[in-house]
Amino acid sequence: MSGATNREAVFPTRQSLGLMKSKLKGAQIGHDLLKRKSEALTKRIDEAKRKMGRVMQIAAFSLAEVTYAVGGDIGYQVQESAKSARFRLRTKQENVSGVFLPAFESYTTEGNNDFGLTGLGKGGQQVQRCRETYARAVETLVELASLQTAFVILDEVIKVVNRRGKRSKPFLSLGSILTFHLVNAIEHVIIPRTENTIKYINSELDELDREEFFRLKKVQNKKQRDTAAQDAEMRAKREEAEKRGEKEDEKAGGGDILGDEEDNDVIF
Amino acid sequence: MEGLFYNVNNGYIEGIVRGYRNGLLTGQNYANLTQCETIDDLKLQLGPAYGDFLSSLPPNPSTSTLAAKTTDKLISEFRYVRANAVGSLAKFMDYLTYGYMIDNVALLITGTLHERDTRELLERCHPLGWFETMPVLCVATNIEELYNSVLIETPLAPYFKGSLSHQDLDELNIEIVRNTLYKNYLEDFHNFVNTDSEMAGTPTAEVMTEILEFEADRRAINITLNSFGTELSKADRKKLYPAFGRLYPEGSFMLSRADDVEGVRLAVEGVNDYKTYFDQAGMGQSSGAGNMSGGGGGDGKSLEDLFYQKEMEISKGAFTRQFTFAIVYAWVKLREQEIRNITWIAECIAQNQKERIGNYISVF
Repeated sequence: MSGATNREAVFPTRQSLGLMKSKLKGAQIGHDLLKRKSEALTKRIDEAKRKMGRVMQIAAFSLAEVTYAVGGDIGYQVQESAKSARFRLRTKQENVSGVFLPAFESYTTEGNNDFGLTGLGKGGQQVQRCRETYARAVETLVELASLQTAFVILDEVIKVVNRRGKRSKPFLSLGSILTFHLVNAIEHVIIPRTENTIKYINSELDELDREEFFRLKKVQNKKQRDTAAQDAEMRAKREEAEKRGEKEDEKAGGGDILGDEEDNDVIF
Repeated sequence: MEGLFYNVNNGYIEGIVRGYRNGLLTGQNYANLTQCETIDDLKLQLGPAYGDFLSSLPPNPSTSTLAAKTTDKLISEFRYVRANAVGSLAKFMDYLTYGYMIDNVALLITGTLHERDTRELLERCHPLGWFETMPVLCVATNIEELYNSVLIETPLAPYFKGSLSHQDLDELNIEIVRNTLYKNYLEDFHNFVNTDSEMAGTPTAEVMTEILEFEADRRAINITLNSFGTELSKADRKKLYPAFGRLYPEGSFMLSRADDVEGVRLAVEGVNDYKTYFDQAGMGQSSGAGNMSGGGGGDGKSLEDLFYQKEMEISKGAFTRQFTFAIVYAWVKLREQEIRNITWIAECIAQNQKERIGNYISVF
């Protein structure tokens, strides 16, 4: 028996066995559902990362288009003519069960077009298109950064709280972290515990069964012995009686049963 | 008549340039290049044309170093031709470099405006646009000094004079300064090839006029298209159109009043070539350039591609003429396009975007 410690404190009765069995079943169903959910979340984050990859690729390629159309390097000119940021970030703090998480939100300031004239002579359209593509790429990056910081902070917190963050998966959102820990808890704590309890109850019940059986057997044995003794006694008595009868027969010499002898009166 | 004494001074140069032209990559070469799987393969394929210049590259070089090395070859060849050129041809080749000088000066002005160390800017300048007094530009610390004592000494001084004051340098967007200079340069170049005693009335004047007119029209159309949605006013825009070309004056006037792509299309209606380009590029429909904002661009050719294509065809055509300086200009343009093509193909290979690798322009 794997430790009487890792089980619930119940009396080993058939009723509690039934309870435990339904509890195990519920835990397993819940575990399956959560696992599916967390997998779906992982998939979503996976998709976000893939999207970032795609967007960055397109962005890099649009830069190649600019190089082709302008026929030179515009990097320096763009750097110099950019005066104020067009793409900005707002940071907020979100309170998630006592943990402060930074959340990034991107927005563009309209009408701020510092290098709108870049490539005026040639390649201007490519420059603008490239700028739009990169703006989208940065947006995706901001989204991911939000998720990632939230995850890192939450993971730290959860590690500190219950030292159970061994299966840390980077870049997950808050919901998925909680789901992961729930899945972990169900998988590694609740299910084994319930299983242990069921085993314990089963073994205890078996033990009781065996005891009962043994007791019954004992009773049977005793009863048999008693009957045997009674039988023997009875037989002995009968034999004795028979013997006595013979002796009297011999003594009476087969006296008249019907009239010779005086019958004793029967008194009620 | 022009052929009688042409070879006395310029025959050697013509031979050299025609030799260089034969060294340009052909359609077959490009087909081989597009089959490459890595940049190293590409380097190998470029071996016959660029061997000496690419040999010092490390394995799997970046596309920008590849472009820099291929440009090095053009520059060393150009310098050789320039060193052997005399008389009007030498002057003609100087004019050719003024275009690059404008870019360099614009770069240096930007640097000075932002009080950068202009010395590091010199490294970024295009070597073809290098002129002797260029390092002196670094001495100037403010715009007024730059304008009064330094820019006056450069070959570009006439282009500044009269159209840009030192306040303009400070206040106007550098792109407007650059395009104003370029407009003056194109007009001056056009005037030069048509009035110089050695060139006027020769095939040089004829071919160069065609090339420069096309260049002027292209700039006018591009400036108009690119100015939509920016702070550039119509009056300012009008000042950037060169005062010659096939669109000048009616087309230019209509361009200056255009509000959208449709307006530009109407303006170029008079010139059949440009009209066809607009139809081919699918411009002039209501969506215009905005529909390509997907980053990947359309699968058809863009207007810029068609302009490049046309420029290459004119340049190729220049080689069918003899006794003309225009082949030098055409050769430089063809080589520039070749460098762009190589960079494009290298970029497509490096980024694994093979589906658009065929977007280069090959005319041979």
